[in-house]
Amino acid sequence: MRKGLINHCRFSIVDLWRGRPGLASRWHLANGRRQGQDALATFKIEILVLCLLALCLPAVAAETGQKLLGDESDGGRAHPIHRLGLLAEPGEKDAEPVKIDPNVDTAEEVLLPFSTRRTCGLCHSYGIINKGWHFNSVDPNAEAGRPGQPWIYVDAKTGTQIPLSYRSWPGTFKPGQFGLSDREFTKIFGRQTPGGGAGETDETVEVMRQYVSGKLEINCLSCHNADPRQDQGGPTGYAVQVSRGNFRWATAASSGLAAVTGSANDMDEMYDPFDPFAVESAQGGKNKPPAITYHKNIFDHDNSVFFNIVREVPSHRCYFCHSNLYIGAEAEETEKWSEDEDIHLKAGLTCVDCHRNGIDHNIARGYSGEENASGNELAAASSCEGCHLGEQSASEPAAGRLSAPVPEHRGIPTVHFERLTCTACHSGPWPADEPHFTKTSMAHRLGTPNVNKAREMLPHIASPVFAKQADGKIAPHKLVWPAFWGVLNGDSVTPIDLGTVTNVIGDMLSKEKFPFSGDWPELTADHIVKGLTALASGGSEEGRAVYISGGRLYSLDDSGQLSEQKDHPAAKPYLWPIGHDVRPAAQALGIRYCTDCHGTEAPFFFGDVNIDTPVVAARESKKMVDFQDISPFYAWAFAFSFVFRPWMKMVVLGSCAVMAFVLLLYGLKALACVVKTLAGEN
Amino acid sequence: MFQTISIVAFLVTICALALNCIISPCKECWRHPLRKLIQLFTLLFIEQKLSPAGVLRKLVYLLALLCFVVLALTGFYPTLVLGEHISGYLVMVHATFAPIFAICLAVLAVMWARNSRFTGNDWPWFQRFVQRVTLIKSTGKETHAQSSSLGQKISFWLIIFLALPLALSIVLSMFPIFGTHWQELLLGIHRYTAVLFSLAAIVHIYLIIRCKTNE
Repeated sequence: MRKGLINHCRFSIVDLWRGRPGLASRWHLANGRRQGQDALATFKIEILVLCLLALCLPAVAAETGQKLLGDESDGGRAHPIHRLGLLAEPGEKDAEPVKIDPNVDTAEEVLLPFSTRRTCGLCHSYGIINKGWHFNSVDPNAEAGRPGQPWIYVDAKTGTQIPLSYRSWPGTFKPGQFGLSDREFTKIFGRQTPGGGAGETDETVEVMRQYVSGKLEINCLSCHNADPRQDQGGPTGYAVQVSRGNFRWATAASSGLAAVTGSANDMDEMYDPFDPFAVESAQGGKNKPPAITYHKNIFDHDNSVFFNIVREVPSHRCYFCHSNLYIGAEAEETEKWSEDEDIHLKAGLTCVDCHRNGIDHNIARGYSGEENASGNELAAASSCEGCHLGEQSASEPAAGRLSAPVPEHRGIPTVHFERLTCTACHSGPWPADEPHFTKTSMAHRLGTPNVNKAREMLPHIASPVFAKQADGKIAPHKLVWPAFWGVLNGDSVTPIDLGTVTNVIGDMLSKEKFPFSGDWPELTADHIVKGLTALASGGSEEGRAVYISGGRLYSLDDSGQLSEQKDHPAAKPYLWPIGHDVRPAAQALGIRYCTDCHGTEAPFFFGDVNIDTPVVAARESKKMVDFQDISPFYAWAFAFSFVFRPWMKMVVLGSCAVMAFVLLLYGLKALACVVKTLAGEN
Repeated sequence: MFQTISIVAFLVTICALALNCIISPCKECWRHPLRKLIQLFTLLFIEQKLSPAGVLRKLVYLLALLCFVVLALTGFYPTLVLGEHISGYLVMVHATFAPIFAICLAVLAVMWARNSRFTGNDWPWFQRFVQRVTLIKSTGKETHAQSSSLGQKISFWLIIFLALPLALSIVLSMFPIFGTHWQELLLGIHRYTAVLFSLAAIVHIYLIIRCKTNE
């Protein structure tokens, strides 16, 4: 192992100490020509010392705030080459990392998966990176920013569809409130994360289980690996490994450098994945332990591995977690071949051209006003306005970044820019009479094995829903109606933990028919009464048991009768704004005429947003205008006035023509008078 | 900025008219104020002596007056009092009365233009100046027109002249011709022209009232 460690460090030292090539060349010289034993011994000692120094560097750098080799670019724009020795996380907490040797005798030593914290963290400050947007959701001090897509836990068998997030987005619940530990949360939703976050927190309850599974470290490769073998959603790829509880092995399994078999979920809590004897014993059993086999041809002569790492993340990597599928009323789907991508991608940009970040991975989300919540210095310049209009206060012209055309918006009254976001007219699918059923990667685990492709598959997300957001502007949103069993305390409702709901409600509804499509079962008032009675009889929860669904709060009154409260604040739908796909100007709302939106039946105001609920009797719809804080009558009357708008234009133009003729006539007469007078006529 | 300029302009105009009222009060204004008020009220009625064209002229004028009041209230209340853009039902009312007002102005322009021509009598001093420059001999007759008559004519032509940018600035912005920058410019033109137009209209109305009450 020590030999492997030294070999790994040789590369690191050559890189780190590039300013002192004499040292490295001396080592090569000594190693290559096999000079005297004394000289070799001297160099070995030197190198050992330097190796230890290099291994300590990340820790020292983190403590002192010193930058590592890869934390700051030297300005070169070429791709940096990554030929690295693989390092694994040791079994003991403060032990040194283990250098991977594919030829290790597995009877004596367990072949471990490489760790990104150790391998990538040698040159890139892991402790800084894990504060980035994709990894910091569990940090209570991280700015939540504009509401974003939540994780939606669905279980048709208990009538549950609940938005969860570690971030403080109003309308979402913390996984802990729902009885999900960080580990359980990661097992369910970690499939479409780049690791870190909840996957890396220290378990306080399932400590042993976490020892077996390991932590789900940041998977740098999920974004930065340009190798086509990078496997996020394949049958043995990242998503599957996460669901099997193989957190420690997931990155390696996805990298295309190794194959991982077995499942940590199947192992006993006392299983020790670092003990060769335990591993060998488990492999003889029915349930196989997680095991890794590195592809032999990836290692070069000194067991280094080439990683095809790119700074500029390819868009298809983003798509694994950020794809959308819109299903129309006639079941037409926006499959890849039939839909146009975002106009920016078609123009040659990639996702990370706008969504940029530095080493802190504090990626620009790209919404207007983000600069107030983000430390990303490009946040203001990365919004629609930032590129297309430029910052008005900037000392240099900033409009037209990345060849962004400066929009003319001919004929669009400027009030629209005060009341609407850019995305209102330019983003998402063209609004229809009813919002589209929408599937997203994160909600419907698109791109992972055995996805239910039925259009009715839960969760039911509707989009675009034009709603007023916190800054007072109307923007297109995705919408989900929460449905869950909870406890009412005052005006707030806390969800009952998943275990209790599964036991009580799951048992109660077990005889019901559940659609194969993954749609809701058809619940009735009787089901809800039984469910609430069963939950109340448990008596474990403080407060009154309630069921939230379809914007209503169901509870039992003192006489045991079911009462329902419409539009209860706790039952409000959760909405998050749409950013993409952006349509070109020629396909923006209003391009044909004002009635694209200001029509008496235009979906922008009068589209029907279905209230999604398993309770059959409550399946109604709301008008889009109800989400905009606008009087429906006013919206209709204003839209109706556009019927007369052409007439108004004609009348006013005609009147102006008459007045202009009168002015011209008498102006010419006056001029004639002046001319006559100046000519000497009386 | 617009808010301040507009409020100052309106206050100055109203103060000037009030001052004018105090310095040169109309006949018997102070002696029989009630009678004058009733007379003022009767100005809204159609006089029997009027010809059909005269009746039409008066009706159109009254309709224009109503439209002007509505447009001024709906246009200036949100911007000058509330400090926000015109929106909601106010904008609908504004847009409904605007074309009616435009028609009224066009009709008034046709019907009043001839009577509102400037003559030499309107500006005797100017006539004398012209005679001095051109060395044309005076006819010896020099009639003095009332100053309010001249004011009415000036304000009338000002109203007709300002009505064009006032209406065109907002109607043209509804066509897909002008981009955002020009849209803002057109809106600015509409707002500032509206202030000037309103001042001219207020002066015109005041002078007509003075003229009628002095008869």
